[in-house]
Amino acid sequence: MLGCLLAKSLWRGKARTVLVVLSVATASTLVSAFLNIAFTVSEEMAKELRSFGANILLVPKSEPLEIAIGGLRFVSPEESAYLEEGELPRLRTIFWRHNIVAFAPFLSQMVEVEGEQALLVGTWFDREIPIPEGKRFFAFANGSRREVAPDKGTFHTGLKNLSRWWQVEGQWPREDEDGVLIGNELARRLKVGINDRIRVAVEGKSVFLSVRGIARTGGDEEKQIFVHLKLAQELFKLPGKMERVQVSALVTPDNALAARASRIGPANLPPEEYETWYCTPYLGSVIYQIEEAIPNTKGKAIRQVSEAEGAFLGKMRLTFILVVAVAVLVALLAVMATMVTALFERRQEIGLMKALGADAKQLGLLFLLEAGLTGMGGGIVGYFGGLALAQLLSVRTFSLGGLGFSLSLQAAILPITLLAAVSVALLGSFFPAKEAMRLEPVKTLRGN
Amino acid sequence: MEPLILLEELTKNYDGKVLALDRVSLQVYPGEWVAVMGASGSGKSTLLNMIAALDRPTSGSVWVNGEDVLSLSEEERARFRREKVGLIFQHFYLIPYLTALENVMLAQYFHSMADREEAAQAVHEVGLEQRMSHYPSELSGGEQQRVCIARALINQPKILLADEPTGNLDAENEEIVIAIFRRLHRAGLTLLFVTHDPQIGTQADRIVELEHGRILPTFPAKALRSI
Ligand SMILES: Nc1ncnc2c1ncn2[C@@H]1O[C@H](COP(=O)(O)OP(=O)(O)OP(=O)(O)O)[C@@H](O)[C@H]1O
Ligand SMILES: [Mg+2]
Repeated sequence: MLGCLLAKSLWRGKARTVLVVLSVATASTLVSAFLNIAFTVSEEMAKELRSFGANILLVPKSEPLEIAIGGLRFVSPEESAYLEEGELPRLRTIFWRHNIVAFAPFLSQMVEVEGEQALLVGTWFDREIPIPEGKRFFAFANGSRREVAPDKGTFHTGLKNLSRWWQVEGQWPREDEDGVLIGNELARRLKVGINDRIRVAVEGKSVFLSVRGIARTGGDEEKQIFVHLKLAQELFKLPGKMERVQVSALVTPDNALAARASRIGPANLPPEEYETWYCTPYLGSVIYQIEEAIPNTKGKAIRQVSEAEGAFLGKMRLTFILVVAVAVLVALLAVMATMVTALFERRQEIGLMKALGADAKQLGLLFLLEAGLTGMGGGIVGYFGGLALAQLLSVRTFSLGGLGFSLSLQAAILPITLLAAVSVALLGSFFPAKEAMRLEPVKTLRGN
Repeated sequence: MEPLILLEELTKNYDGKVLALDRVSLQVYPGEWVAVMGASGSGKSTLLNMIAALDRPTSGSVWVNGEDVLSLSEEERARFRREKVGLIFQHFYLIPYLTALENVMLAQYFHSMADREEAAQAVHEVGLEQRMSHYPSELSGGEQQRVCIARALINQPKILLADEPTGNLDAENEEIVIAIFRRLHRAGLTLLFVTHDPQIGTQADRIVELEHGRILPTFPAKALRSI
């Protein structure tokens, strides 16, 4: 009987039911979209933001080993003043390798370009590198071991991936040709354009190179010229060497544990905490892991970037929470307004039910079930609406190729969205229903 | 014999201005059929509403089936309405989106549990077996009122209270409804109904005449008939 009553009264008030469903759906669309974005897109967004530059700089460990004797500086003659290019792929073997978004090696010296002094930088433009195979284990201080499945395939990295905000007129030079990417300022000074050949002289030896692209970067790079690393190594007679590496890594904002690890040193953390620290992608632990993987390397944090990033994401989230809160409030008011009129229209019906002996519990159950079902409908519509909205936002705003939703997150979003929707419907109906139940049957049944 | 309905000094004063009932005392015994008559505005509906626990008097007391109606809480009044009284109104009042059968089942649902068989039997008894799955808008006034009677009787009330049950019916339907009342009366049900029509009033055992909220000296309807 209750089911029949609910179905029929909802059907009879179709227009009203649809109105409530739509109000609730609007709010829950935003709730669902927010959750999807908060859970999924913010990671994508972090990655997107991450593409605006590196946050870790790798230099040779022995770099500071400079000895000054009588005003003359002697750099340690060991080759360890440079890093080995061949060790770079190891960056993708660390525990948090998936958080390494991009990296690029650099080797630079002042050269003469068309008779002008300029910094020539050897780097990787867009390199596809194989990922070392083989199983890897991570052993922790407490003796536990964690196996990490080996990665297969290749990985794109290089300056092009690291510096996505650069605007390149023409093309990025290919890895297999002796092409040049020239800074915009230098190009203007030398009056060279795309496909012009320029003469580069190093220690009396000179080569001719073709300009492939002109870069606007907004920084010092506009005064420099870029060639692929191999060429720079040949010109500088430093085969297989590089001076520094810029790494872009996704990191978690530091917390108390990260702060303590950097203060007392990770090795001095209790084993439990060490494991937690190691298995959390703090900037510190990612650097630590890189230093473990590549001998003779020292990692430096360029921290400002990730902090700004965190603050930006936080602001985005706050904005979104406010939008969602306003939407929920508006939906609540809309449901309330609809319910007040609905129950006014139905006051005779309510009076009749009371005259037939329905008590507050029975009537309350009836109205709240009606509202709850309507809210549930709105929630389901809103859940899918939110998925679509999140998808749209992710494509439009963050220029991602859609979301790679993870199933576990989706599973959590549905019940949360439904809960929000049902709460809005129930809360919006509660006071009108309470008011309606106070109606005296004699008043509503009188006259006609 | 204990009266089934016992009203003592019942007074209802609307907003301190309209004295709808003025110290009304009345006793109705089990199995009696009482007609309440009087001019419009004399307080007939008010009296009925007091007995049905739909309204509260300004003073006086209402006892029904040994229960002090005025001492009941809101929840107990709801229980009282669904268990003790069957109500019939002049304007039928059916839920428009439920069928005839479902309207009867609704009363069962509020009472305890809807029972399709039993409800169908009740609809059958008022002669509407062909109209069970019709909606109120598809029924004639007489048919609607018969659905209301079936609904009022479905929970086996002690008393059937009817406020001008034939007020909106033509002569033919009026006769059908009155015939049902006569049958119920013969079966021993206590009936109290309000009417304007002396023709109908004389069918009852007793007429209670109201004037400006006061009961006029009573006399048996049978005596009236013999005049
Ligand atoms: N809710 C109310 N507020 C104020 N006055 C009321 C209210 N209900 C009834 N009255 C007044 O009380 C008096 C008795 O009303 P009641 O409805 O009992 O009359 P009645 O005998 O049933 O009349 P009718 O034959 O027209 O139905 C009338 O004067 C009416 O105006
Ligand atoms: Mg009346």
